Amino acid sequence: METRAADNPDGLQYSAIGSGYDEVYGDQSQIQAHWQYLLDGLKTLGVQGIRERQLKAERILRDDGATYNSGSLSATTWQLDPVPALISSEEWAGIEAGLQERAELLDLVLKDIYGNRDLIRLGILPPELLYSHGGFLRACDGLALPGEHQLVMHATDMVRDHTGRMQVIGDRTQAPSGAGYALENRTVMSRVLPSLFRDSHVHRLSLFFQSLRLKLNSLASSITNEQPRIVILTPGSYNETYFEHTYLANYLGFPLVQGSDLRVSKGYLWMKSLGGLERVDVVLRRVDDFYCDPVELKSDSRLGVSGLLEVVRAGRVIVANPMGSGFLENPALLRYLPRIASHFLGREPQLSSVKTYWCGDPQDLTYVIENISRLVIKPCFRKPSEQSVFGSSLDEAQRQALIGKIHKEPLQFVAQEYISPSTTPSWKDNQLLPRPSVLRGYSVATSSSYNVMPGGLTRVGNLADSLNLSNLRGAISKDTWILASEPEKQDSLLEKQPVPVPSKTQMQPRVSFPCRVVENLYWMGRYAVRAESALRLLRTVFVQLNSTYHMPAETRKVLLQAVTQLTTTYPGFVVSEGSASLQPEAELLSVVLDGKRTGSVTANLNSLLECSDQVREMLSADTQRVINDLRDELNGLADSLKQGLTAAPEEALDPLVTTLLALSGLWQESMVRGLGWRFIDMGLRVEKALQAVSLIRSSLVTVLPEYQQLQVLESILLSSEVLITFRRRDHSGSDMVQGLELLLHDSSNPRSVFYQVDQLRRHFEVLPSAAQGSGLAEEDRYMLEASSAIQLSTLDDLVKEDQKTRTRANLDQLLARLQYLLQETSNQISTKYFDQIKVHQQLVRTDWDEEL
Amino acid sequence: MIYRIRHITHYEYEKPVTLCYNRAYLLPRDTEYQSCTDSRIQIYPAYTLGQQRTDYFGNKAYFFSLEQPHQELKIDVTTDIRVHESKYARECELDLDFGNTCGQALVALQESRELPVLEAREFVLNSPMIKTASSLREYARSSFGSNRPLLSAVRELTERIYTDFTYDPESTSIATPLDEVLQNKRGVCQDFAHLAIGCLRSLGFPARYVSGYLETLPPPGQEKLVGSDASHAWFAVFSPGEGWFEFDPTNNNMPAEHHITTAWGRDYGDVSPLKGVFFDGGKSQKLTVSVDVSRLQN
Repeated sequence: METRAADNPDGLQYSAIGSGYDEVYGDQSQIQAHWQYLLDGLKTLGVQGIRERQLKAERILRDDGATYNSGSLSATTWQLDPVPALISSEEWAGIEAGLQERAELLDLVLKDIYGNRDLIRLGILPPELLYSHGGFLRACDGLALPGEHQLVMHATDMVRDHTGRMQVIGDRTQAPSGAGYALENRTVMSRVLPSLFRDSHVHRLSLFFQSLRLKLNSLASSITNEQPRIVILTPGSYNETYFEHTYLANYLGFPLVQGSDLRVSKGYLWMKSLGGLERVDVVLRRVDDFYCDPVELKSDSRLGVSGLLEVVRAGRVIVANPMGSGFLENPALLRYLPRIASHFLGREPQLSSVKTYWCGDPQDLTYVIENISRLVIKPCFRKPSEQSVFGSSLDEAQRQALIGKIHKEPLQFVAQEYISPSTTPSWKDNQLLPRPSVLRGYSVATSSSYNVMPGGLTRVGNLADSLNLSNLRGAISKDTWILASEPEKQDSLLEKQPVPVPSKTQMQPRVSFPCRVVENLYWMGRYAVRAESALRLLRTVFVQLNSTYHMPAETRKVLLQAVTQLTTTYPGFVVSEGSASLQPEAELLSVVLDGKRTGSVTANLNSLLECSDQVREMLSADTQRVINDLRDELNGLADSLKQGLTAAPEEALDPLVTTLLALSGLWQESMVRGLGWRFIDMGLRVEKALQAVSLIRSSLVTVLPEYQQLQVLESILLSSEVLITFRRRDHSGSDMVQGLELLLHDSSNPRSVFYQVDQLRRHFEVLPSAAQGSGLAEEDRYMLEASSAIQLSTLDDLVKEDQKTRTRANLDQLLARLQYLLQETSNQISTKYFDQIKVHQQLVRTDWDEEL
Repeated sequence: MIYRIRHITHYEYEKPVTLCYNRAYLLPRDTEYQSCTDSRIQIYPAYTLGQQRTDYFGNKAYFFSLEQPHQELKIDVTTDIRVHESKYARECELDLDFGNTCGQALVALQESRELPVLEAREFVLNSPMIKTASSLREYARSSFGSNRPLLSAVRELTERIYTDFTYDPESTSIATPLDEVLQNKRGVCQDFAHLAIGCLRSLGFPARYVSGYLETLPPPGQEKLVGSDASHAWFAVFSPGEGWFEFDPTNNNMPAEHHITTAWGRDYGDVSPLKGVFFDGGKSQKLTVSVDVSRLQN
């Protein structure tokens, strides 16, 4: 039998010597029974095997786009330890009951503080504890959800102390995060350790999410008889847990919206969707309550919906968790919870909380100041700028500064006894090492009680002595396995939809999304094409510049100017025969790399990536993978380009072009022909047409000597990918006639202008038209004219040279008109389908900080 | 006494506003000393939704939204209100040397289990616009000897603010911080009310902000000008077992028959006459406010 102090530790011989309470060994030296199977299984896999599983897990997480945005750094892939945390069924039963009771209790507190406030009247809570807390929102006084519970979702952070007892260190009651990550962890683990997972009889998580969905549906049923519309409100792609929002939106099948996607009108809440306003019944919010309504709460918030609170008050929309529930996160409540429990339940809570002192209490304050170096100091009201402080890690000066801060606002601080968390085996440097761990458990209200997720999100410290185990501080997550004594039946949400008996109106699934999504899809298409055509032209130009034969000055000038005009990176090569065109490399490099320059390849790709973030829940796993590649290529571009500059810079651009092609390939081949696809494709078409027109106009309008002319024409055809077709064709007319036909008229060339216009017209035919009155809509009219103009023009006419100006004036005229028509079409699409109202202003400026 | 109050707020925008949502505190509440007989709020152009409710502090809050494009917005409130006789008793510079001493009040605030006291403790705490500070405590302290009756001390504080500070509408904005007001010794009624509240809270006494109107009387023999009145602000202090008492540091008196209360809260931010957002409307806006307090019946 293995023991805690192993004689011959290797990577898989888990030794927790020197740790306090350990999950595997408890406070004994023998492995606890429920760990044996897993540890044996890991041994069978071997170091190499586990390492491979870990890499596979990383790959899946990356492909899923599972990120956690910590601080100002760019998104990092979610960190998952391949070794799960285990809890036996018997022990879990106790934790589950404790969590259930805790949710019930906090629910009663929530009802009370926005209702009768008996807790204050009866002297159970000091008034200051409530009134000084930034989470007590007076505007929410009297709000009440239908049904038994106010608190819909609840999360609790727990650690196990040195005696092995679970102790609560904090609660999350606004918009608890992590349940989605827990689900993603589970999905990944069941793929990388399938047999270990299967044979361990792990309790499944899907039931929890079914309960959540049921609860939201039943809340909605109090305000609508039809199939309810439930949305998830996210602060947006910059939020650290944005991945989770997109993940839950997809898993639960609810549209993911931002504040600006919603609007209050005529006393109801609506989603701005393609077909107009659609009523929203329930909002599952991931926006902090104070930010939810700039009219009555934080005036300068851009994350909320103006007037939302008044709609909530009227009972015409349900927000879960209700606004105002942030008060329950006040850690000072932990100190009073036993009293609160005896008031409401007539007993002490089953799940105990870590010993907590509130500095608003004079005796507590004295204790805290005297013992500060062994306590954890927390602000009562969580702000991004305020973190928990571990007294033990402070030097004298810092300690004095903290004491000063506490004395200044004692009501705003609590202190907790530091519990050295139990350690759990974690995969680190190819070994199993003991790491401190904290578990976040989740509950969701049901009609009569709370349903606890059988599992949760375990986080472990990076180091053996890590103090702060938050993801913001680089902690690593673990899947949490509650080991059933016998296997459970499969029950995934994906297989079974817990919708109540469908009535006639419910037969039609609602597939709609906010217009912001559509807008971002459209622009994704446009930016992708913009980047691609710039890359293609740059590639061609690099090749020409570096080719061995001498390039005449005219050719060179036209090509370089085409780069500037196509990318609109003025002045570039357009102004004069300055130094830029003598030594064009620097300018060309800047057109590729300078992200601050509008029109540069990097700027376009960054915009593309931003758009993709906005619509992440709409992207398939394959698309997500390509987007990841694109991001990597872009990050490595500067290096590879500088290395290759002397030899063949064009080759450094190839991978990006290929990736962009993969993206458009996916769009063409594997997207369902719904509205989402249509808008991407419209973006592609509009931009392709505009780029082609701009390219022809900047390079082929000016008349050049014959040899130079052919050089330019071939370059343009090359960058438009039709040079080979051009050469193979039977040359019945002049080169210019042939070339222009391919670029402009040819309905069989998917890169010709005509082809794009034709496709756009097809899209317009099927789109839900918001056109008023009869006759053609504006955009139809524009594209009909473009189509006719191209078809009616004759090539002989177009190539005609105007002797005075040395240009092809007819061609120029046609292209100018096409440019105008395409731009107007795009404007029309924007006005018609995208939201025009973005940002609000304050009627009366509130320049003071409205938060306590 | 019955007053009619007409309060018109008029916004003109540079460009049309497409949507706006607002919360107004313009309808006077009922209090121990006043009852509203009629109150009408009219909004031009017509609002899409208008909803009145009683807020956390017992004030009348009014929510309205406009969903038609408009380039101007007029909020016209007419209120008829009766100010009760009993209020006059307060006014006659009564002898304030009675009741709780400052010391007793502080002890009672800590020890009393009576509901009004528990609830008043909310008003000792910092609020978004008023933070307690040692500078405020220093300024006020000399008036608040432990054995001195609280109300008499507050009366003196009121008088000192009146004497030490200059009324100057140009000197401050809504958001001028209190220490700046204290330093420059200038401000308007709202600043003086905030200052007094800040002083009282810094010493541990509950104090709240009161918004309302003050009837101004024309010089003898002259006609009163319509619209020349203004909305006003003062404060109230809580004395355990005795209740709330109002003081007006701008005019150095205790509000009585000429003061009409609209709403109260922790500070201006809780009861600002209008708070809201609008969409579009260009970059600038013009605001005109006219207030008229007239007597319907003596």
